[in-house]
Amino acid sequence: MAASLLTLDDLVIHIPERPPGSPLNLAVAPGECWGILGPNGVGKTTLLHTLAGLRAPHRGEVRLGGEPLARLGRQGVARRLALVFQDHHDGFPATVLETALIGRHPYLRAWDVESPEDTAIAAEALARVDLAGLEHRLIATLSGGERQRLAIATALTQTPELFLLDEPTNHLDLHHQTRVLALVHAEVARGRAAVLSLHDINLAARHCDRLLLLYPDGQACWGPTAEMLVPEALERLYGQPLATGSVAGQPVFVPR
Amino acid sequence: MTRLPATLAVLGLAALASLMLAVAVGSVPLTPAQVWAGLWGEGPPLHTTLVQELRLPRALAAFATGGLLAVAGALMQVLLRNPLADPYVLGLSGGAAVGALLAMLAGVGLALVSGAAFIGALASTLIVFGLAHGTGSWTPTRLLLTGVVVAAGWGATINFILAISPSQELPGMLFWLMGDLSHARSPWPALAVLFTATLCAWPLGRSLNVLARGSLQAAALGVRVRGLEWTVYLAASLLTATAVTVAGSIGFIGLVVPHMLRLVLGNDQRVILPASALAGGALLTLADTLARTAIAPEQLPVGVITALLGVPLFLYLLHRSR
Amino acid sequence: MATNVQHHSGDARTPWWTGLLAAGLVLAPMSGVMAADPICVEDDRNERVCLSQPAERVISLSPHITEQLFAVGAGETIVGTVGFSDYPPEAESIPRIGSHDRIDVEQVVAKSPDLVIAWGSGNPSVQVERLEALGLPVYVSEPRGFADVADELERLGQLTGRSDAGREAARAFRGEWEALQTRYAERSPVSTYYQIWDQPLMTVNDEHLIGQAIRLCGGDNVFGDSSRLTPRVDREAVLGADPEAILASGRGEEREDWVEEWRRWSGSTAVQRDNLYFIPPSLLQRHTPRILEGTRHLCEALDEARDRRPEQE
Repeated sequence: MAASLLTLDDLVIHIPERPPGSPLNLAVAPGECWGILGPNGVGKTTLLHTLAGLRAPHRGEVRLGGEPLARLGRQGVARRLALVFQDHHDGFPATVLETALIGRHPYLRAWDVESPEDTAIAAEALARVDLAGLEHRLIATLSGGERQRLAIATALTQTPELFLLDEPTNHLDLHHQTRVLALVHAEVARGRAAVLSLHDINLAARHCDRLLLLYPDGQACWGPTAEMLVPEALERLYGQPLATGSVAGQPVFVPR
Repeated sequence: MTRLPATLAVLGLAALASLMLAVAVGSVPLTPAQVWAGLWGEGPPLHTTLVQELRLPRALAAFATGGLLAVAGALMQVLLRNPLADPYVLGLSGGAAVGALLAMLAGVGLALVSGAAFIGALASTLIVFGLAHGTGSWTPTRLLLTGVVVAAGWGATINFILAISPSQELPGMLFWLMGDLSHARSPWPALAVLFTATLCAWPLGRSLNVLARGSLQAAALGVRVRGLEWTVYLAASLLTATAVTVAGSIGFIGLVVPHMLRLVLGNDQRVILPASALAGGALLTLADTLARTAIAPEQLPVGVITALLGVPLFLYLLHRSR
Repeated sequence: MATNVQHHSGDARTPWWTGLLAAGLVLAPMSGVMAADPICVEDDRNERVCLSQPAERVISLSPHITEQLFAVGAGETIVGTVGFSDYPPEAESIPRIGSHDRIDVEQVVAKSPDLVIAWGSGNPSVQVERLEALGLPVYVSEPRGFADVADELERLGQLTGRSDAGREAARAFRGEWEALQTRYAERSPVSTYYQIWDQPLMTVNDEHLIGQAIRLCGGDNVFGDSSRLTPRVDREAVLGADPEAILASGRGEEREDWVEEWRRWSGSTAVQRDNLYFIPPSLLQRHTPRILEGTRHLCEALDEARDRRPEQE
């Protein structure tokens, strides 16, 4: 069993004006793909930001490769962990390639200039998300889906060991949803790990081998996907009656 | 980044040309040969005085001031993630003006007026810093709002001082408020600040590029956001305070020069910062030359000329870009 | 002188070297007089301005200074002046070197002046300091009242080697000034409001030149004891003070708009008695001999106001 990449030790995240939830104690190992499921507002984004070290937890600790995040320093964390945000604020004009290239920032020192290798990594990442050929387009002219894929390309450029993705399938059509998740799979197969928050139970069921369910009352449970896909639990999660089915051997959940 | 050498070369030439023009042209006609002689102290003493003691210091002061304002403007725009920011948006010129006007009211000598302006600018920085800090974290929006309010407060204070000042002080005060390069004494401190600041800011350029994407994204990529923001804030304040101390508050350069460069050169701060220093310096030197010669012997306020030059240029570039 | 000395040295009873000694004693101070700076004058900063010989190339940085120079017959020494130097008419042809609030320093230097006369409160001190730093002798003029006009005529006369003309002009000024004082100062006071600007309404206090003229004419400036030289007031304050006479300058030499503005307020004493007077601004705004002409107009206006009083008063 490989040493865990990311360890949550008694972690309680801090959500303003909400009582703290139950502590999370889990470990993400290389080769694992975790899905976070939960209704709106339960704190999926907050949790991902806390795991990335952008927010302080209410209690507990996050460790990356055994080291507490604080000890690793911002740059150390950024080399090993990439976070794909849900929203993208683009204040100043930039090209697609420039935006992908910022993923190399953690590896460059102050006086360094991006090398051809760096540009090659960024170009390859763009190709993998189907944005090859758009390198010199201004990001303001991209569609929502293209912008989302660009954000993923930036994360790929960071060549991290762990991917944290906040609702990566937003804005994406079916084709690209599948492609992006296949991409995540490929990375995971290479020995990385991924933690993604998803709205779609079925996507999570298909692509994630571990699930973390965050309940609105603050409770949480986690474990292998098969164990977590209990209809009653999912209904309680979303407060929504579900009908269960099966497609090609995979369980499928549909609102009733 | 690949554009940097070419950009610096072109802008460097423009800067040199503007300086040469400033030294060669004045309300007293001199041939290039006479200017050259005057530069080296040969020829009639009048020419030497004109070139060495009047035109050259003023040209260098104009260059330094323009460069300082443009770099400060570029930094402010990144800090506030807002292309509409200029060096004065956080109340720096207002604070400097209040400092200078109070010194004039107290009847102190001119060197102290400049010193008071500098202190006023830095005091404004600290006030905005302290107020924006509030209950812990501040966002660019919060900083901007605080700065705008503080600037308005300074504006009201300036009006008050103007209203209660004895009439004989008013011409001097208005002269200072409009900004004028005949104020300038020695240009060397300002040039030193410009050079040092640009050199020190350059290695931060890529971090600034990332910061411009948003503080969360920057933090996620390993940028020390708070530290960088404070550094940028203090640097921009220092640059602006120096500029205002040299020549009063000259507007427009800090807002428009970085913008114009962005339209042409893109958004890489490693290119924009040095380019701003050169382009801002060249533009203000050119504007000042026009201000003192266009309708000589009448002298125009340089802020009028910077607007007259900058507005059409900016609109043209905006029109040309997508 | 030398012949007298030689005559002395020819006298048999005195030693031969007495003559040389006497010559030395006589010639030495003379040569000193030739070389040392004989013209030293204190300017309005109380600083001594010294010239080794009378000024022949003068830069005037204010219209009032130009006028004063002409008044002592030194108009031809002015090689450069600022805008609005319009009196006397010959002054219009003097080359300009900028405006009083923005001087073209290069032009000033290029004229190679031997004296620069600056206006303390009207020129930017930054630029005046620049001129001094470049080695030019600078005399700063900052007159505050009638007496200063005459004093300055004398001092400018000295600086330009026209001491006689300067003294004469000063004497004439003082004479006329005293005459006006004698004639009008003891008359019964007329409460007066003098307006120098209309937006915002601005008036003068007793220290202002116009305020002094009002006092000379036996007027009682209703805002005289204000602490500011040119206080800003509102119409209510003026109507509340209900002056007997309202005088105003106006923006140009002929326009009487400002005075006519007051006619609306038919309840005020000045309007009822038609004591609304216009004085051409050029006669009362500069510290030059023309101030006496303006003062005369002012005194005549106030006299008329006295005549228009109802019998019972």
